[in-house]
Amino acid sequence: MKQELYACVYAAEFPAQAWLRLRTDLEAEPVAVLEGRAPVETVCSVNRPARLKGVCLGMTRLEAEGIPGLRLLARSAETEAAARSALLECAAHFSPRMEDASRGTACACVLDIAGTERLFGPPERLAERLRTSLAAAGFRVSIAISSNFHTARLKAAATRGILVISHKQEAIALSRLPIEALGLEEQHAETFAIWGIQTLGELAALPEVELITRLGAQTAEWRALALGALPHTFQPVEAEFTLKEFCEFDTPVEQTESLLFVAARMIDCLVARAATRAFAVASLVVRMELEGGSVYRRVIRPAIATVDRKFLLKLLQLAIAAHPPQAAVMLVDLTAEAGQSSKVQLGLFAPQMPEPSRLDVTIARLKAIAGEDRVGSPVLEDTHRPGAFRMDGFAVAEAETTQQTERPRLALRRMRPAVPIRVELRDMKPVAFRDNERRFKVAAAYGPWKTSGCWWSSDDWNAEEWDVLAATSGGSPVACLLVRNHQLRKDGRSVWQLEAFYD
Amino acid sequence: MPSANALRIQIEHSLESRFPAALSPVPRTIREVASTGIQEVDRLLDGGLPVGAISEITGLESSGRTSLALAFMAGRTREGLVCAWVDAGDCLDAESAAACGVRLKQLLWVRCRNAESTLKSKPWSRLDQALQATDLLLQAGGFAALVLDLGSTAPEHGCRIPLATWFRFRQAADRTRCSLLVLGQAPFAQSSAAVMLECAAMRAGNEAGTVLNGFTYEVRSGRQRQPASITGMRKPSASTWTATGQWEREKKA
Repeated sequence: MKQELYACVYAAEFPAQAWLRLRTDLEAEPVAVLEGRAPVETVCSVNRPARLKGVCLGMTRLEAEGIPGLRLLARSAETEAAARSALLECAAHFSPRMEDASRGTACACVLDIAGTERLFGPPERLAERLRTSLAAAGFRVSIAISSNFHTARLKAAATRGILVISHKQEAIALSRLPIEALGLEEQHAETFAIWGIQTLGELAALPEVELITRLGAQTAEWRALALGALPHTFQPVEAEFTLKEFCEFDTPVEQTESLLFVAARMIDCLVARAATRAFAVASLVVRMELEGGSVYRRVIRPAIATVDRKFLLKLLQLAIAAHPPQAAVMLVDLTAEAGQSSKVQLGLFAPQMPEPSRLDVTIARLKAIAGEDRVGSPVLEDTHRPGAFRMDGFAVAEAETTQQTERPRLALRRMRPAVPIRVELRDMKPVAFRDNERRFKVAAAYGPWKTSGCWWSSDDWNAEEWDVLAATSGGSPVACLLVRNHQLRKDGRSVWQLEAFYD
Repeated sequence: MPSANALRIQIEHSLESRFPAALSPVPRTIREVASTGIQEVDRLLDGGLPVGAISEITGLESSGRTSLALAFMAGRTREGLVCAWVDAGDCLDAESAAACGVRLKQLLWVRCRNAESTLKSKPWSRLDQALQATDLLLQAGGFAALVLDLGSTAPEHGCRIPLATWFRFRQAADRTRCSLLVLGQAPFAQSSAAVMLECAAMRAGNEAGTVLNGFTYEVRSGRQRQPASITGMRKPSASTWTATGQWEREKKA
């Protein structure tokens, strides 16, 4: 029969770790996390510098505030959920069979690593790689490996670093653990205290039958636990693959640089998680809760799915620069959508094209300069309205090449907005017109070409167009398009406008 | 006494760390050109507008600048290449561009606008945006042609663009093999432009008719820094070409 082997990953002080994972600037500072309702909040988790300063669990806010330099943070369920998801997902790379074993404020999971030697080497090496991988994701964990599920779980909580327990050495490994590790009820703990039983080793040494006679059948389970022989039915959970990072700030953040500092770390984590599954980031949804309760939301969608952290951060920076939040930021929530990483086959004879990722940044910058709706490709509308078009997003696509050549055409240069002019008419034809600056004498006028439409809506138009050959007062000839608009004035009189020049 | 050749080699060798081949003449390269799509203009330019250089097309309204630029862009997009149009005055007519044969999907159009702040009445905001956008697009690379449309910018404003800006554009265009066309009422790029064309209106196609069915333009080569031809034949410095209107097209169809 194949030997069972379990690795327990134990992240102590998880509320503090979840906070500090994305806030690398707070790593060296003493930090305590408070839970409960104000003003009776108590410390539920601390980091190492805080512990060295004398902060301990259960302290009230008042007591904690008395310690100089200590930063107090409120416990955040969303931050912990995002961090837990990241931890489980990171651990899932080493074994698909995983059981959640979290207790209290700690986050723990037990991996079934039987049969992974050929992939990751001996258990010691697997434990090292697992710990390194979790450290890169921002977690400090202890790992215990044993052939017994409960032994691994109990020992991981009581150890620092990595511990590999050999087969049939479980009882010895557990013998020095305090009896509180079993999580006994108060009355049973008192009984063992009266008997002078303080460690699991001492509990294991007691005769089984007499123990059951005095304390009941459940003691057989405790004794087996202390001996490292209690069997366990593994209940695997599947780590949900959601690319989501969440960070709540202790104070509202106004500066974009501070925001991007945290966002950079969040993007790093998202990209790393996507890359481990051979995915890339296809889109990034940024949600921020602002001071005052409003919500800021932007969607960043690169032209191709990418794992380039700097590129995504640049796009985020440009999006925030183009649409800055209207108030200080209370929390940031980044959700990424995974996509297939694209592969482009380059060719020596392929036509010159902009690099898609670089083009994205360029377009984002152009939009920041000219405006969101003023950069893109023009698309002609399906209407008879003169000059109707809309702007679509610009994307590089392979196009067919043709050798067909056309004769050069007359092109218009439109005036946006059209320039109001005063027109002199003779026999209902324009003979001269002037704008604010110049006077034009008409040499020939072709028209009118009447155009109207959308009479059933408020967006209707009704105008007549004239193609006019004219000469400026300086003598230079111009060809222009004049429009007599019947709709602009409420008194029913038409308005003449210089719509475009033929150029 | 050492020969001139030996002296040259000796001097070049001593200056090698600072000026490589200081006294050797720079080999003359024949610049690649792209057809404008108008035979008369191509003949004038020895094949077309230069690739990787600045070309200036100057003229007043109705001088054919836009039609010429659109004809060039149509040719480039027909080859499957990507182009950009930086429109300082927001004057491009998408219908005209499509009618000229430009594939709009392959055209990135940047429409500059007046700043919303106190600079609203100042033309510099649009010009500034156009220059910034051109800079970004040239640096990004990958665009076969880029039109910087300053046709509606007053010459007194366009002439204030620093020469350093044009020099930077020239370098970037050369590096990214982009044909940068500058449309304006007067020459702005000065010595940074490889080609300068002066456009002017001549006459309408059929003044006595009932429709405007075309326009004849004159184009004059103001300057050509590096002629593509190496034959040494003297070329005419001006030419005329005709753009037909939509009516003419309908009649032929």
